[in-house]
Amino acid sequence: MKLEDLRRIRERAQDRLRLRGGEARIKIVVGMGTSGIAAGARKTLRAILDEVTRRNLSDVIVTQTGEKGLAAREPIVEVYEEGKVTVYGEVDEALARRIVAEHVVNGRPLSEHILEVREVKA
Amino acid sequence: MIEDLSMHVADLVENALRAGAKHIRIALGRKGGALILEVTDDGQGMDLLEAERAMDPFYTTKDRPVKVGLGLPLLRQTAEELRGRLDISSQPGRGTRVRLELPWDHPDRPPIGDLAGTLIPLIITSQGVEFTLVLADDQRTWELDTREVRDHLGGLPLTHPEVLSFLERYVREGMEHVGLKEDG
Repeated sequence: MKLEDLRRIRERAQDRLRLRGGEARIKIVVGMGTSGIAAGARKTLRAILDEVTRRNLSDVIVTQTGEKGLAAREPIVEVYEEGKVTVYGEVDEALARRIVAEHVVNGRPLSEHILEVREVKA
Repeated sequence: MIEDLSMHVADLVENALRAGAKHIRIALGRKGGALILEVTDDGQGMDLLEAERAMDPFYTTKDRPVKVGLGLPLLRQTAEELRGRLDISSQPGRGTRVRLELPWDHPDRPPIGDLAGTLIPLIITSQGVEFTLVLADDQRTWELDTREVRDHLGGLPLTHPEVLSFLERYVREGMEHVGLKEDG
């Protein structure tokens, strides 16, 4: 096993993106600023990664960002889809797994946990 | 007695992150008859008084006392009980180094535990911080540097699920390579 093997992972990820016309179907962003981490965002992110890997969701990318300005509602998770972003608050590990299962896989957002839905330019 | 050493490595890394470190070096090795763990960071460091206080079981600088101190004092207590040692050297503005030495063959030495499974999620979720992990025994040294990982990944994030599982397997292989296979 060599670090160079990471290039193959990168190439595979790029190939999959090319097949889909250069865009992931869904991007999940976890707020990992100081307040997010203090509220447990690492566990939230880890749960999302576990769930995405376990379900082999190759058209989903998971990434992180800094403070979201919503300290009281951390951990914050944003789900980007074509034309909109759904913002979830107070996402613990269990809710993170439900977001992947219900929203990302089945297309049913968990309305009781949504802080905001915004339109974004495609 | 302390739990798995890997949990304490994670605890020391969390301390370094809270101290604003941008680079954290974790070295774990079996040298001669000793297990040696060193965590070095370039964070804000501590003056002598703060370093003394860090050994107080109930002192914490954490905003939320989810865990109240105990990390370093427990490590020191374990080191003393096993006739090992724990040293902290720190300078304000320069960073901190924590070094633990325990006799490898002592029957009460805590197991290393799942270092890969504990450390890699912490590493990949620490945005803006670079890590060097060094594993060694008397003959061999194995190293992982997140800057090198990023070079190979291009723009692909460390949090990509395939990257996460690759890095966990890679560290486990490194542990085997230097005879530190998890003994948890």
